[in-house]
Amino acid sequence: MTEPLLRVNEVGKAYPAGPGAGGRWRAILDILASGRSKGVKRVLGGVDFEVRRGESVGIIGANGAGKSTLLKMITGVLAPSEGRIETRGSVAALLELGAGFEPDVTGLENLRMNASFLGLSRADVAARLDDILAFADIGEAIHEPIKNYSSGMVVRLGFAVVASVRPDLLITDEVLAVGDESFQKRCIRWIERYLSEGGTLLMVSHNMYQVQKLCRHALWLEQGGVRAWGDVFEVTQSYLAWHERRDADSRERARAARLDGARYRVERLTLHPASDNGPLRIDVGDPLRVELALHSPDGRAPQALVGIVRADGTPVYGVATDHDEAVPARIDDHRFAIDLAFDGLPLLPGSYVVRAHAMDPEGLRLQDTVEAEFTVSGRSRALGLVELPHRWCTGDDADR
Amino acid sequence: MFRDLLLRDLRGRFVGSRSGWLWVVLTPLLLLAVYGFVFGVIFRARVPAGLDLPFVAWLAIAMWPWLAFQDAILRAAASMPEHANLISKVPLARDQLALSAATAAFVLQVAGFVAVLVALPLFGVAIAPQGLAAALLTLAVLFALAAGLGFFAAALRVFYRDLDQLLPTLLMFAFFLTPILYAPEMLPDHLQSLWMFNPVAGLMNDLRAALLHGQVLPGAHTLWMVPVSALVFLVGRAFFRRLAPYFEDYL
Repeated sequence: MTEPLLRVNEVGKAYPAGPGAGGRWRAILDILASGRSKGVKRVLGGVDFEVRRGESVGIIGANGAGKSTLLKMITGVLAPSEGRIETRGSVAALLELGAGFEPDVTGLENLRMNASFLGLSRADVAARLDDILAFADIGEAIHEPIKNYSSGMVVRLGFAVVASVRPDLLITDEVLAVGDESFQKRCIRWIERYLSEGGTLLMVSHNMYQVQKLCRHALWLEQGGVRAWGDVFEVTQSYLAWHERRDADSRERARAARLDGARYRVERLTLHPASDNGPLRIDVGDPLRVELALHSPDGRAPQALVGIVRADGTPVYGVATDHDEAVPARIDDHRFAIDLAFDGLPLLPGSYVVRAHAMDPEGLRLQDTVEAEFTVSGRSRALGLVELPHRWCTGDDADR
Repeated sequence: MFRDLLLRDLRGRFVGSRSGWLWVVLTPLLLLAVYGFVFGVIFRARVPAGLDLPFVAWLAIAMWPWLAFQDAILRAAASMPEHANLISKVPLARDQLALSAATAAFVLQVAGFVAVLVALPLFGVAIAPQGLAAALLTLAVLFALAAGLGFFAAALRVFYRDLDQLLPTLLMFAFFLTPILYAPEMLPDHLQSLWMFNPVAGLMNDLRAALLHGQVLPGAHTLWMVPVSALVFLVGRAFFRRLAPYFEDYL
């Protein structure tokens, strides 16, 4: 077994109270005496993992989970309040693109300065300058002050400098999300080559695809603690599942909150034909039946409004019961039912959503919204949303 | 890295003005002319008896080294908040930031000092060239002292913002407690022995002895201050380094 490049041992961090809170002499004495500062706002605790050569790690988690704090401690920008962090080999970090760049100074000077922060000597920089400039690909702008750069150019320059260092361990904090498509691709290609040549990456990313592609292990942080650590696919998949559950929960909660004041509700929305698993799939021109069960608190029949929107939210068609003077059928004192049938749905292939709304009997206010997804499949190559009846005519066509 | 930082700090003082470097020389000369007018013409200040010198020359020899000393400490103290962005994003040796800020400030004032020394013959004073080596040693001691105190100031400033207000005032006190505008002999007898406690005062006397009187050997005070200033420098740096990992928490 190779020695780990990075060993994070039961590390925690607590920030001190804000300025003006006093106790700072105390803090100075503490640090002088013990080399540690006791904080009061605990943001991270009990983080424990190792990174071995060639075993890249992705750090994932919601905003505020402590990812950046952890990275800062690993790079040495912050000192941990508890535990130890040991690194071996060369480490280079890109915590923020353009960090350490001075706006008034030219790109070239900033490049030199940044390279020297990363431990490159002037001679190293001179030897690698052409490579760095080629990678950054910002042309003559290198002689202009950084303040005239677009953010994409700053990113390119920052990454190019780090890339030239080729550290044993490269640490990045969500920096690949900036820059244009082609530069991102170049970065990813560079990282892949770097990894294949034995480099090791420690990255924070919200892009699970990227994490799965580049990392072997993943660390999932949640509210300042480790929620999961292990194989990248297991961890990222449970992270995504957790996210979906949370989103569904919050949608459900939002609906419940809305319903508190609402009086008329959609109790159930079902699509026919039914599907066993996942969203319903139909073909172009197939029939679709939207079945609604509605709730009325006062026994009066609510109005129903049903709409079809494309998955991106573009409305396709919407119709309400009172448009057609239809009235939901009474089941009992509070329950009503009505179906909307499309005998042949001319939708083009794609993903769609049925939105069913309950309205008050006067048809004035929307009081509840429920959605169901379905997919239309088929081989049509036509463009747009719906199949329109049509024919092509030529000049000598008789029945013009 | 220190060299890059130093160059950047030196350049940073003049970014935006094309003729920036000119001001390194010009400002001290203008200031010298102002002092010459104020102390020579208005106040008619006199050098201590027995010295046949214009007051302004006598003042200038101590004034610019003091400015270098003071600026180095103030700049070092300001260096951490100035580089807050760097400190929070880039792992680097933070003591180098403070040292480079202090060095840049000191070097610039010494450059002005050199310009003033060159211009002094205009006031009818010749600088004794045989004293330059001794003066250089005294300046080196002064620098080590300033950098060491600068380390303390820089580290404490991170924890106490009040230092921004306090430090200039303290240095102003120190300025008047140092024989720059006056000669130590002008104090009443019973206060004379207090000079022992002002490490800068003796250095100023040694500078005058070297540059005005052409004393070739370094003064006793300078020699005695060599180990003391080295100690202040090392202890200051150790203090700074001990606290430095926590700067980001408090900055």
